[in-house]
Amino acid sequence: MSVLVVDDLRTSLQINGGEYHAVREISFSIEEGETLAVVGESGCGKSMLAMSIMRLLPSVASITAGRILLDSLPIEAVSETGMERVRGAKIGMVFQEPMTALNPVLTVGEQISEPLRDHLGLSRREARKAAIGLMEKVRIPSAASRYSSYPHEFSGGMRQRVVIALAIACHPRLLIADEPTTALDVTVQRQILDLLDVLRTEGKMGMLLITHNLGIVAGHADRVAVMYGGDLVESATVTDLFRNPAHPYSRALLASLPRVDRDLSELASIPGRVPTLVNMPDGCRFMDRCPHAMEKCNSMPPPADVGDANLHMVRCWLYVQGGEHAA
Amino acid sequence: MLLKVEGLRVSFSVRRGWPFPKTHELKAVDGVSFDVRQGEAFGIVGESGCGKSTVARAILRLVNLKEGRVVFNGIDISRLPVRQLRRLRPKLQMIFQDPAASLSPRMRIGDALAEAVRVHGIASGKAVDRLVRDALNEVGLAPESAERFPHEFSGGQKQRIGIARALVLSPSIIVADEPVSALDVSVQAQILNLMARLKAERNIAFVFISHDLGVVRHFCERTAVMYLGQVIETGQTREIFDAPSHPYTRLLRSVSPVPDPEKPALAEVQEGEPPSPLDPPSGCRFHPRCQFVTDVCRTKTPVLRPFGGGLVACHHAETLPPAEL
Amino acid sequence: MSAVVTPRHRVARLAPGRIAIVAGVAIMAVVIFAAVFAPIIAPHDPYAQSMLARFRPVSAEYWLGTDQFGRDTFSRILYGLQITLWTAFASTALAMVCGTAIGILSGYHGGRVDRWVSAANDLLMSFPQMVAGIIIVALLGPGITNLIIAIAITAFPAFYRMARSAALALRERDYIDACRVLGYSDIRIIVRHLLPETLDDIIIVATLWLATAVRTESSLAFIGLGAPPPAATLGGLVRDGFDNLLDYPGLAIWPSLAILIVMIGLNLVGDGLRDANDPRATA
Repeated sequence: MSVLVVDDLRTSLQINGGEYHAVREISFSIEEGETLAVVGESGCGKSMLAMSIMRLLPSVASITAGRILLDSLPIEAVSETGMERVRGAKIGMVFQEPMTALNPVLTVGEQISEPLRDHLGLSRREARKAAIGLMEKVRIPSAASRYSSYPHEFSGGMRQRVVIALAIACHPRLLIADEPTTALDVTVQRQILDLLDVLRTEGKMGMLLITHNLGIVAGHADRVAVMYGGDLVESATVTDLFRNPAHPYSRALLASLPRVDRDLSELASIPGRVPTLVNMPDGCRFMDRCPHAMEKCNSMPPPADVGDANLHMVRCWLYVQGGEHAA
Repeated sequence: MLLKVEGLRVSFSVRRGWPFPKTHELKAVDGVSFDVRQGEAFGIVGESGCGKSTVARAILRLVNLKEGRVVFNGIDISRLPVRQLRRLRPKLQMIFQDPAASLSPRMRIGDALAEAVRVHGIASGKAVDRLVRDALNEVGLAPESAERFPHEFSGGQKQRIGIARALVLSPSIIVADEPVSALDVSVQAQILNLMARLKAERNIAFVFISHDLGVVRHFCERTAVMYLGQVIETGQTREIFDAPSHPYTRLLRSVSPVPDPEKPALAEVQEGEPPSPLDPPSGCRFHPRCQFVTDVCRTKTPVLRPFGGGLVACHHAETLPPAEL
Repeated sequence: MSAVVTPRHRVARLAPGRIAIVAGVAIMAVVIFAAVFAPIIAPHDPYAQSMLARFRPVSAEYWLGTDQFGRDTFSRILYGLQITLWTAFASTALAMVCGTAIGILSGYHGGRVDRWVSAANDLLMSFPQMVAGIIIVALLGPGITNLIIAIAITAFPAFYRMARSAALALRERDYIDACRVLGYSDIRIIVRHLLPETLDDIIIVATLWLATAVRTESSLAFIGLGAPPPAATLGGLVRDGFDNLLDYPGLAIWPSLAILIVMIGLNLVGDGLRDANDPRATA
C-alpha cells in the first residue's frame, strides 16, 4: 500500500509579479517500509517538494496543480488546523540542523512527551515513560537520566537522535528526512542512517530521504528520484540507477563523484551552473548544460511519463519514440 | 623537501565551569609531523574537532604555535619575524572553505587580485592587469569578471576567484582547507579538476584538508589521518584507503559512503562519538571506541612507527586481522 | 543573468528609509544654508544693541522681535545656528575620527591593550553625558574649542564601541585571514579591508550623534557653560530668553524651536539611513 502518492505536482513561486515553477509536474509514490531518496544539487527543488508535501510552503509559494495523497488521504482537502494534526501524527520530520528543530529552553524529555500527550492523549506519567522508551529506541545512552537534559547538553549526533525520537513518537506513516546527516561527521552519519533504517522497517513507515549525497543514496535507499531545476528527471530502483543511469544529468552526476574505493583518472564535470528560477529555460531545464541537447529540447519540456513510473522513468527527449538520437 | 612540519603543537585556552570558570588548555594539535614534496598533494582527513584545520592555520601562522617547527624551503617560518614572513607569504597560499567569506566584499575582483600583485612588487603598471587577466583565464573566468564584485558570482565561481588570487602570486604550495565541501557535486568536480591541473602544470604542492575520503583519494598522493589532535596513520593515500591499518582509519573508511549499491555496507557500526579534545582519553586516544582494545592501549600512548608502507600509531598494528572492506 | 545589485547601486536599497531621509535632508539643507549664509540673510547685526528697540514684538522689521538689548532675535538665531552647528559637526567629526581609529585598532589588536582601553572607555561611559560634559568644560575652561573637545569626549564611547565590536567581528572572518596570508600589513588590512566594512555603520552613528551633540551644546550653553558672550548659540539664546520668560516668552521659544527643527532633521536623516541599511528591512 502506498504511504505517499504525489501526482503531477506543481509548486509555483510568485516573484515580482511573475509566476515561476519551482516544482514541475512531479509524480512518484512511496510504499510502506520503503525509502525513496530524492537527490539533486542546490536549487533543484527538493526542499520545495518536501515543503509542499508537508504544506509548510513560504507565503510566496503555492501548489498550483496536482494531488498529494498521504496514506490515501488527499491533503489538499485538509484544513490548516487539521494539517497541524497530520504533521504531528502522520508525518515525522527530521531536518539538517537538529538545533533548529528543538526548543532550547525545554528539556528533551518534555519535548518528546509533548506530542505523546497532544496527539495520543497520554497522561503526564505515561508520556514520561513512553518518552524514555523512545529515547532508548533511538539509542540515547542512559535515557532515563538524560530525560531532563537540555538540547545544548547533547552532541550534534545525540540531538539528531532526539529529533528522530520526536519524529517517530506518534507512529507516523511517513518520515521525511531532509539532509538528516549533512551537519554530522561520517561516523555519526552512518549511525543515524542505520538507526533510521531500523526504525523505518520496524514501524512500517515510508521514508522520503532528501539528500545531495549519492553515497548515502546507494547505501540506504530502495528507489531514487533525481531532480534538476524543479523537474524529476529520472527515477528508478537504486541498483538500476547506479548501473544504468539514463538521463544525461544523472549520468554526469554519477561520473563527477570522487570515490573512496577506487581510482579515477579525471572527474567528469558538468559545464556551467544551474540557471536561477527566473531564468529557467521553458523546455528541458538541463538543456544549456547537456551534451545531447537538440532542437526539440529548447521548444518543449520532455514528457513526464516516459517509462514506467515505478520501474525506470526518464524525463528526456532522447528516450521519446521518434527522438533524433538513441541513447 | 618543500614543507616540513615537525612536532607541531597548538593549544587554545577555554574557560569552562560555573560559577567560577577555570581556564582549561585545549590541545587542538598535539605533536603533528609530516612533510610535503614539491608538486605533491598531501591530504589531512579526520572528523570535526580533530585539529586538521588548526594544522592548516598553524602552517600559515594564522594561529600561534606552542611548540614545533614549520620549515618551508629550508627556512623555519614558525619563528620568523613578521616582516620577513610577509616577504615569504606569496609562496605559501591558502584556499578557504567558504569562498564567499574569503573575499573582501566591497572590492572588485580585479582590484583584489591586483592589490596582491602590487603589494609584493611582482609587477607594475600595465603588467599587473595582464597578470590578473591571465590568472582569471587560467581558472576559467572571463576577463570581464575583474570589473565585478564577489556577490555577483556563484559559489563555484567564487572558489575559482579564491584560487586565482593565490595564483597571481605564483605560490609553490597552497594550503586548501575544505575547498570543495561547500560546493555541489558537479561544481566540486570542476574545482577538483582545476586544482589537479594546476598541480600538474605548475608543479604546485597542496596541503589538502578534508573530511571527505573520496575527495582526498582522488586528489592526494599521500594522506595523514588525524584523531583528537594527533596523526594516527599516514602513508600513500591508495594504501591507506585500500588497506587501512589503524582501527580508526578502518572505521572512517567503512562508514564513508560509497556510491555503489552493489557493495554491501559493513554489517554493524559500533555506537559512539569522538570524545571532547578538552579531556582526551588516556593512552591511545581511540581506545574507548576501539574493538581491538587491550590493557596496554588504556595506559600507554602509541607512537607513529613504520608499518606496511606508511606510519601507524597502534600497539597492535601487526596482529590486527586484515580490514574487511 | 539575474538582476545584479552592486554596492554602487546601494541607493536603490534605501527605499524603506527614503521618505524620512528626503524629509531630513530637506530640513538640514535649509538649516545649513541659513547658518552658512547668515551674514547675508540676517536682516540686522546680531550684536548691535539699541536701547530704542528693546523688546520689540514680531514685525516686518524685526521678524521675531528683539531682546532686552534691542538685538534682532531672528538674526541672533541665524548666527547662533552657525556656532551650534559648527560645534556639533566639529565635535562629532573629532569623536568619529578618534573613536573609530582607536576602536578599530583596539578590536583588531585584541589582548591586553584592548582590555585596558575598553575599561577606560567603560569608565567614561559610566558618567551621564551631561555630567561628563559639565566636568570637562569646567576643567578645560570656557571657549568654543574647549566646548568642541568636551562634546567630542562625551561622544567618543559610541564610536569606540561601534568600531571595536565591528573590528572584533570582522577579525574572525576568513577574508581578513586571507589578507594576512596574502602578506598584507596590518595597516593595509585595517584601512583597505576593515574600515570600508564598518563605514556605513559609523556614518549612521555619526548622524544620530550630531543631534545629540546639538542637544549637549544647547544644554551646556543653557547652564552657562557654552560659548562665552557676546557669541550667541541656540542654547545661549534660550538661556537669555529665560530671564524674561513670563513677559516676553518669544525670546526663549524661537531659539527652542530652532533647536527642535535641527534635532528633527538630524534624527530623520540618521533613522532613515539606519533603516535603509538594515538588512532585515530589505530582505
